[in-house]
Amino acid sequence: MEKTLRITNVLCKIMRFTYVQMALLVLFGSISYAHDSFSQDILNQPVSINAQSVEIKKILTDIEKQTTAKFIFSNSTIKAAHKITFSAYSERLSLVLTKLLTPLSISYEVVGSRILLKKMDIRTGSVEETSEVVIPEIVKPVQVIAFVVNGTITDETTKEPLVGASIVLEGTNQGTISDENGNFKLELADNEKNGTLVISYVGYEKQSIALEGRTNISIALKEAGTLSEVVVVGYGTQKRSDVTGAVSKFKNERLDEAPVSRLDQALQGKIAGVQIQNISSEAGSTPRIRVRGLSSINAGANPLVVVDGHPVPDGLSFVNAADVESVEVLKDAASAAIYGSRGASGVILITTKGGKASKPNYTVKMSRGVKSAYKLYDIMTASDWVKLLFDEAALKSKDPSVPPLTAIQIAPLEDRAGYVIEQELRGGQSTDWQDVAIRDANVMNVEFGVSGGNKDLKYYVSGSYQNDQGMMIHSEYERFNIRSKIDAQLNKKMKLSFNINPSYIKRERPAELFQDFVRFRSWLPTRLDEKTAAWVSANPLYADLKPGDWSQARYFSGRIYSGTMPDGSAWTSGTAINPFNTANQTPIFSIEQQRITTDDYRALSSGDLTINLFKGLDFKTLASAYTSYSKGLNFSKRDATRAGDVNKGVYDDRINIDLLSESTLNYKQEIKKHSLSLLAGFTAQKTNVKDQRVTGLDYPSDEISTLNTALTVDKSGSFNTINNIGLISYLGRLTYAFDSKYLLAASFRADGSSYFAPGKKWGYFPSVSVGWIASNENFLKTVGWLNNLKFRGSYGASGNNRILDFAFVDLLYNANYPFGPGNGTSTIGQIPSRDVLSNRDITWERTFQYNGGLDLSVVKNAVEVTLDVYQSKTEQLLLRQSTMAFSGVPFTWNNIGSLQNRGVELDITTHNLRRKNFSWSTTANISHNNNKVIELGNEALILNQGERTELYMNKVGAPLVEFLGYKTTGVWVSQAEIDAARADGLNTALTPYFVSGGLKLADINGDKKIDANDRTVIGNPYPDFTWGLTNNIKYAGFDLSFLLQGVQGGDVINGDANYLEIKRTTRIYSKDRWVSPMFPGDGKTPVANVGFQNWLLTDYAVEDASYWTVREVVLGYKIPENWTKRAHLKSLRLYFSAQNLFFNTASGFRALNPEARFSTGPYNTPLIDGYQRGSFPVNKAFLFGIDLNF
Amino acid sequence: MKYLQYITLIFCLALCACNDVIDLYPASNLNTDTYYKTEAEVRTGLNGCYNGLQRPMYREWQFTELRSDNSKQGETGSQSSVNRDLSDLDMFFPSPNNQAIYLYWLDSYNNIYNANIILQKLGVTYDPAAGTNTLGKTDVIVTDSVRKQLAGEALFIRGYHYFNLVRLFGGVFIVHNPVTATEAKGLNRSSVNDMYKIIEADLVTASSFLSAKKVNQIAANDVGRVTRWAAKALLGKVYLTLNRKTDAITQLTDVQTNSGHALQASYANVFSVNTEMNSEIIFAIRYRAGGLGLGSSFGNDFAAASSGATIINGSGQGWNYPTNEFDTAFITTRTPLTYDARRDVNIGFFGANKVPYIKKYISPVVLLNDGESDWPVLRYADVLLLLAEAQGYTPASISLINQIRTRVGLPNLPATVNTVALFEQALSNERRLEFAFENQRHFDLIRFNKTLTTITAEQTIKDHFAKEYAKHYANYPAPRLTLAELQSNVNANRLLLPIPQREIDTNTGLKIEQNPGY
Repeated sequence: MEKTLRITNVLCKIMRFTYVQMALLVLFGSISYAHDSFSQDILNQPVSINAQSVEIKKILTDIEKQTTAKFIFSNSTIKAAHKITFSAYSERLSLVLTKLLTPLSISYEVVGSRILLKKMDIRTGSVEETSEVVIPEIVKPVQVIAFVVNGTITDETTKEPLVGASIVLEGTNQGTISDENGNFKLELADNEKNGTLVISYVGYEKQSIALEGRTNISIALKEAGTLSEVVVVGYGTQKRSDVTGAVSKFKNERLDEAPVSRLDQALQGKIAGVQIQNISSEAGSTPRIRVRGLSSINAGANPLVVVDGHPVPDGLSFVNAADVESVEVLKDAASAAIYGSRGASGVILITTKGGKASKPNYTVKMSRGVKSAYKLYDIMTASDWVKLLFDEAALKSKDPSVPPLTAIQIAPLEDRAGYVIEQELRGGQSTDWQDVAIRDANVMNVEFGVSGGNKDLKYYVSGSYQNDQGMMIHSEYERFNIRSKIDAQLNKKMKLSFNINPSYIKRERPAELFQDFVRFRSWLPTRLDEKTAAWVSANPLYADLKPGDWSQARYFSGRIYSGTMPDGSAWTSGTAINPFNTANQTPIFSIEQQRITTDDYRALSSGDLTINLFKGLDFKTLASAYTSYSKGLNFSKRDATRAGDVNKGVYDDRINIDLLSESTLNYKQEIKKHSLSLLAGFTAQKTNVKDQRVTGLDYPSDEISTLNTALTVDKSGSFNTINNIGLISYLGRLTYAFDSKYLLAASFRADGSSYFAPGKKWGYFPSVSVGWIASNENFLKTVGWLNNLKFRGSYGASGNNRILDFAFVDLLYNANYPFGPGNGTSTIGQIPSRDVLSNRDITWERTFQYNGGLDLSVVKNAVEVTLDVYQSKTEQLLLRQSTMAFSGVPFTWNNIGSLQNRGVELDITTHNLRRKNFSWSTTANISHNNNKVIELGNEALILNQGERTELYMNKVGAPLVEFLGYKTTGVWVSQAEIDAARADGLNTALTPYFVSGGLKLADINGDKKIDANDRTVIGNPYPDFTWGLTNNIKYAGFDLSFLLQGVQGGDVINGDANYLEIKRTTRIYSKDRWVSPMFPGDGKTPVANVGFQNWLLTDYAVEDASYWTVREVVLGYKIPENWTKRAHLKSLRLYFSAQNLFFNTASGFRALNPEARFSTGPYNTPLIDGYQRGSFPVNKAFLFGIDLNF
Repeated sequence: MKYLQYITLIFCLALCACNDVIDLYPASNLNTDTYYKTEAEVRTGLNGCYNGLQRPMYREWQFTELRSDNSKQGETGSQSSVNRDLSDLDMFFPSPNNQAIYLYWLDSYNNIYNANIILQKLGVTYDPAAGTNTLGKTDVIVTDSVRKQLAGEALFIRGYHYFNLVRLFGGVFIVHNPVTATEAKGLNRSSVNDMYKIIEADLVTASSFLSAKKVNQIAANDVGRVTRWAAKALLGKVYLTLNRKTDAITQLTDVQTNSGHALQASYANVFSVNTEMNSEIIFAIRYRAGGLGLGSSFGNDFAAASSGATIINGSGQGWNYPTNEFDTAFITTRTPLTYDARRDVNIGFFGANKVPYIKKYISPVVLLNDGESDWPVLRYADVLLLLAEAQGYTPASISLINQIRTRVGLPNLPATVNTVALFEQALSNERRLEFAFENQRHFDLIRFNKTLTTITAEQTIKDHFAKEYAKHYANYPAPRLTLAELQSNVNANRLLLPIPQREIDTNTGLKIEQNPGY
């Protein structure tokens, strides 16, 4: 492949077009070319007529002969018997038509090269020209009108009339369109009275009715089920019934009414096989998305997100949910293979809304709401803690086995000081730092849109503003979106679509983490009051402090404390002590003194042009540019995090330009029972990222944060980098269907990527899938209750190239050093990466997946079921593999091993009630996935460490991540018990655990020696099932939908259990703990401090992360039409929505949020997963909204 | 088909763009594929090795000062994870999972890797059997003398790291050229003997390769680079550690007489940021303040806890407090109470309660952790005292010690120092005060186990626990070790650190032995 490409180099040198130039050339070149056949020109053609009492149809036929125009009309519009006299000489067609038709109350509209004649008073509504609707083309002159059929077209469910439905006599071009009451009238010749009428309407199933001589018929059209719905697949669309892969479609049903700030959050629980996890619930945070489990380790397991054909990495963050028409997820490799090297983790296709041929339709949507913490930690104040210690000491004193305690053993000096401050200095008051950090946050959303157009030009324009204040102080998320989409039918051969979507996101993030608040000392006030100010200013170091000043832990340091203890005894520390030693300022002070803001400007602009070369063959070329500019400022005022901090501004700039050029040829042909489509294409995508950071130091004032005032620039905090990434691809697809029963599809993609070394750049991704629509077989057609039964099977390969840029070569980084006399002069030095060793041979990761599926709908489509089972195997995993640290670099890139995912997904939709005024449907999905490591190169297992050296094991034959640690069997109740165990031969070097009240580590291998060999699997982070259940109920003007969502199984390591700081500020870890041999608590909870040195991971810290929640409830009411009509509105709906009304966690779960996971630092790899501490609370939200159409 | 021309054009354009799109190399970084071709490029790589010396220092004091009688983690009541990890080291029961131990290990080996790249490019190979380094072919365009100079510096750096590693961990892994991940998994621990073999070879070759210029002849731009004298002084210390006293004397005497290094008149000047790289500094790991990313964090790490901005901007962590007993060791006379001049350079006091903290590395900083002070590794005073140690109880040795005492205004050692035991006590004490908080004490104590007859590391540390127990170790709330428990932690095994558990866990093929006692 590369050889052939090199030949073109010569041409390349001659014509060095940039992508932009190229795109513009294609676009504008084509437009100018198309100009001569603009529809307007049809009407400028000269016509001459001289008719004396001639049938009007005759005149029209005459005009057709003279011009390129073709007329479309129904017999009810043009009365055949109507004869007129009319003359014109070489006049423009438009003038002729006006003169001719106006007196007859007929209007006309140009559709391509055709002219549609209509009765003037008929509103055509939103009739759309699609392949689904047969538009009567030429009306055969009726010889003798002997037969008139009258009828009504209605919606089967709602019984409402359908305006603009097409009624055509089968085998002819004769037909008409229903009027605003759904009525139609068709005049036929006598010999046609036994013909068949074909009725079609957009969004409804086509219906054929034999006339059998009837003159009056009513036809109820069935809304098209999912079968005939159009599904977006890679580089095209398919009818649902033709799909052979595993593709989930989610139509936008009020996605924008959920009180969440992002599209991906709104999709949680709604699509089978797509697990969306809010690993942080802070405003605007990115959730983790996994399609069918984890198919990659280090190469990015996020699905590819494609917005209107352009793969955009952050597509889910900037698209406004209200603008979304549908979201499709390509889940199996066969569907995703068309995206080749980037499809292995699934593909999410976002299709935005476009205009429809109609009068302008205005929509206004406004909502306001409030978010609050569902639950916070049960806080123990410093006083509570000391009381607990004294209570425990009182218990111990009753236990003869406990020797008398020294004062320090009852309670440390520092803790006693905290008690005194809280009880005596602050008069019993304490600070709940959670309340300091968390607030009720306002959320707001305003959207405005207008769409409409005619057959040739359709538009959709919308603007939206969203504001999510964030529950944590100093967090805020604001988004402005504008979207405009224009579709133009340039002439009968060419179609142009143009799309611009600028957006602006402004985000403020808190400078401190919630977990730092949870563990902060309650005795410390946020600001000094009279008494505390008096106390701290007695220290000469802090003599200046006044009431109202911020307080800091160090103000209370270096003092002698004395007071009354909970047992009434008097106590004094004797020497000066530091009740809380920290170099840091209080979190509230730090947060207030810093501003972390980012401004993201993004624009996705694309244009595509489709040219119909000849019947069935379309050429489409698309040029798209995704640009983003992100500007970050992190400004800290003086003393922000520590006393003596200089004020500092970090300015970040990131410019990302991503250009995509795509050309495809699409061929569709239907010959008798054969239906064939072919796709061939070429795409090139080029990404250029420029990052820049400048750090300014020492500003004259905290009030001005622009760099020009900074005294100096911090060299070590400043850089500028450029990165280029490129991808070129050839793709092809064939689909073939025989007799709407047997389906076959095959696709192929070749990708060349800049990520890999020369010679390793190209990867090939084929797929094949088959389908059998059994319900279309004659032997099943007679089964009345069976509407659809389809079996699908597929196999394909998709890939993953998302690794570190240039992992095939070792990069050098600055490592300067001061040489020279005195303080030295910084001299340039370079060393290779300290983090990861390159590997010249690395190449694509490939995932091979089998998928078997079943689609079933029964009882008039009342129950629809989709079932998919799959097995995938990812090979040559791109692995950031731990290496021996003594080799100098702790990790290396490698293509080793393979990973298997197996799973089953079930979607069920039931229409429980389908009445005109009362409908109820239920959609449920449940998926199960399990992954297994098949091979890890030559290794049996890999061990990785988290932040506290807790171990994550990746072992062949087991799920990818398992927690490796010690099992415990309760606590050592007494020293006697330990002595007995030792006498029995048990020994260990882990002496800190062998104390009474310490966790009893299990001797797994039975060698009587507790050591590293006794570590075993104590959990894994993967859920057994994830599920969602949505109910939609409509009754009269009311609509109600609610989503239950849950995750069953899966463990989390709760770091809180190992952090002494959290254990003394929250109640749950000290409840029922071991106190003394006589008072062993529940026998499971260890004594306060013992056993956590060295952060040994035990099952004491592993918890069940299952949960279920009432994720979303939307209750709406549509104001009756007769009221809204008076206000000249089309519709007005009020709604109320809520999130997490109820959130249930597993019984053993001790933290706040089972969805929360650490994902940065060591956790920035799927090899280390399932850890949290001090998790940010789940939020509960309420929203009230208005939805207006006019 | 009138559109065909356009389509053809589009495909042509698309095709011709291909190679441009995917044939890319990093635009912002150099890469090892194309670098190290010229002398200047190799020198830039070598400068990177000097930078690599800085990182291990951030943890080294945790193993050499905390694990001696010099210092302690001060906050017994603190339950912060950092402080507890430090306490574990202080009390001689660190876990193999201790993060600081792993990071020190990693940072040291990372710089060995950097040095190995330079040595490989310069064509230097180490023969493990013979224990020699030889100069082979090189592709670098460089003169022979420059090549030797560059190789000598890199060899010193490698030898220096191995010397620290063998003293902290015992026999560990010998890597003498860049190894691939797969090759690394085939290597196991070496013996202590083999470790010293490569250390000796590196330092011997380095001292022969490096220029014999006296310190005052060194070009200004080269100040701070490894010199022949640094190699020899370190080699002297290596020999002494191996108790090869004669070999040590040869090397140290050469430095004493031929290097041009001398004692500074004032002890304070040795460490002052205004007189860096003074004549006494044979080798130092240099830091540079001023937002260059080259400053040190010692000032902030060591300044008193809760001191706000009174000692240093950004407050102190109080991680490494002098022991109470060490402070009193600076007392010269009890009535009136006077102190050795070195006390004020080394120890400061904070607050009304006069909490002692390490002052030696504190210089004013604008940015947090951006201190200026260099960390002395080898200084002339060290050479003199090592020489005294090598020579043993002789008048010449007494006079060497007296040189050090005179400089700080102390009288000569009294005549009562007239036995080996008393001499050794005086020598040990002098080294302790002179090199306070310079990462020498732990290594000295271990070395004394061999070189001195009356002082052992174990006993010294046990005594230190006894002296500090009531005032410090008894204040740990829980788990509170009794003095006996604390002292029992100190044994020959625990003088070595555990091999990082990650290293043992990562190699699933070879069984790597943990150090005994862990």
